[in-house]
Amino acid sequence: MNREFIAALKKEFGNNILDEITSLNETYLTVKKEANVKICDHIYHHLDIPLVSIFATDERKKDGCFKIHYVFSLDKGDAFVIIKINVDEKSPRYNSITHKIATANWYEREIQDMFGLVPVGHPDPRRLVNFEDWPDGVYPLRKDFDIKTKPPRVEGEYVYRRVEGEGVYEIPVGPVHAGVIEPGHFRFSVAGEPIINLEIRHFYTHKGVEKLFENISLDKAVFLAERVSGDNSVAHAVAFCQAVERIAGVDIPGRAKYIRVVLLELERVYNHLGDIAGIATDVAFAMGAAHANRLKEEILQLNEKITGSRLLRGMNTIGGVPRDIGDKKDEILLTLSEIQRDFRELMEYLMSIPSLMDRIETTGRIYNDTAKGLHVVGPVARASGINRDTRRDHPYAAYPETNFKVSVQKGGDVYARTLVRADEVCESIGLIEQALWSLPDGEININIGEIPDGYALGYTEAPRGETLYWVMIENNSIVRCKVRDPSFCNWLAIEYAVLDNIVPDFPIINKSLSLSYSGNDM
Amino acid sequence: MFDILKKTLETGSQTTKYPQIPDIAPAGFRGKPELLSEKCTFCGKCTTACPPGVIWLAEGDGEKILTLSYCGCIFCGRCEEVCPEGAIKLSGEYELASKTKEDLLTSIRRKT
Repeated sequence: MNREFIAALKKEFGNNILDEITSLNETYLTVKKEANVKICDHIYHHLDIPLVSIFATDERKKDGCFKIHYVFSLDKGDAFVIIKINVDEKSPRYNSITHKIATANWYEREIQDMFGLVPVGHPDPRRLVNFEDWPDGVYPLRKDFDIKTKPPRVEGEYVYRRVEGEGVYEIPVGPVHAGVIEPGHFRFSVAGEPIINLEIRHFYTHKGVEKLFENISLDKAVFLAERVSGDNSVAHAVAFCQAVERIAGVDIPGRAKYIRVVLLELERVYNHLGDIAGIATDVAFAMGAAHANRLKEEILQLNEKITGSRLLRGMNTIGGVPRDIGDKKDEILLTLSEIQRDFRELMEYLMSIPSLMDRIETTGRIYNDTAKGLHVVGPVARASGINRDTRRDHPYAAYPETNFKVSVQKGGDVYARTLVRADEVCESIGLIEQALWSLPDGEININIGEIPDGYALGYTEAPRGETLYWVMIENNSIVRCKVRDPSFCNWLAIEYAVLDNIVPDFPIINKSLSLSYSGNDM
Repeated sequence: MFDILKKTLETGSQTTKYPQIPDIAPAGFRGKPELLSEKCTFCGKCTTACPPGVIWLAEGDGEKILTLSYCGCIFCGRCEEVCPEGAIKLSGEYELASKTKEDLLTSIRRKT
């Protein structure tokens, strides 16, 4: 599939392609800067290949150019095609593809803030990550920006879109919210109860994670990856480790692969249980919430018993896993079988309550074309009829040797998302059982030592969806680490999901999308 | 309604009387790291291994001081792994709340 695809691209755009490099399942095509819109549009619309990430690198030391990478995922052939363009330091401008591919919107704005590369023709060129008090001309991810720099604060203003008309009111919510949650600003425009527009503003918890990666050693970077998004620790750590292992060209021991599957699925189970509990809370069904939370707590305590950490931290290292969990097999299986029984009973019960169903059916609908246009990922995408799952489409760890079904719903509402999560909990428990029954003997990690220079993608299906890492290593240290958290794709979907819904339904819509602030803001 | 009552009674109370009854962490739990002054050789391996950099070694007034701050500790256990003398152990202790940052410092010292 990949080879045919590249051949077809070359036939179509032969004179625009300057260079081709293939490593593993990734093909990097450097194309002429002016041809980016044409080629990306062709791949995205004509060949129907999703655009999964856009990121820039500062390689001025090598050839005086910044590079912009457009990552396309060939789901059917387990391959990635990365279109690269060179942007000269002297004219840091390139053509925006957002007017053709809506997914590119936030990526291009992020690159503008972080590298100072201007996407010409972007429909919304406001700042995204840097706030208005950040001075012009200071770009944190450029190599000449020292991590210790403290730029002066300047005056500035951020202009929100306004909806005007008789009886239209604005409701600003956040960034400080009631309860212990993270910061984000939501600006609703309402006419009576129904929401007619929502604009979100995030990045209040921007910590410069990608810059931090460039300034710490490889062994410590795993711990940073674990903390990018607190409740998706394993998915992030595994994605990072896999990227480095792919660069090193090593295959980790079989036992480590199976242990990673167990950990990844335990993480999915506790996240989904927490989300189902949250939905019950937000429709004021306290008893259902208490039961779902009880089940989540059982998983967290199981995590603590088998790994020493409730959130499964410190369980991944480059080259495998540092701690074995094989001796706790019986305990895991016993706890999970009890949880599965209780969970099925709980779901049957929740779905039989009319007052709950009334709140979640048809609420917060994300239509299939919207989800596709924004490249929504994970359970949210699968609830809107998008049949994608990284575990199946780009198999990693021990997933190729396991059986599971990918749950897809068409409704796109809160109900569909709840059903997808409920199915995934049961599938995950099945996966953990399979992995533990066929856990091979042997080592749990190998010492990799020096990592050769190179770059590669690492990917996992986190509980929230597809998580991507692109790591570039030179002289055994990280030169660039691009993190693409699933929430970065899914946040914009909320602006569409709430339309025509009433303000009191916003909390359940938000909960059903299960979005991370920290993973998005980084 | 009857269902809810039945399920609630069946499940019973799930919470414990913490903190009156202490909740003891399971074996293998990675909690508060303890420094053992009699074993430590002040080699400084833990200071370079610590990902958040919250262990540091200072010298002055004829003594070496190894300090660990629980403020930024991520309980990863790398200090325990790299210590050749077994002078750092992660314990099951997890109640670390404090009003000041100074309360969260622990140090051991030795005359040089």
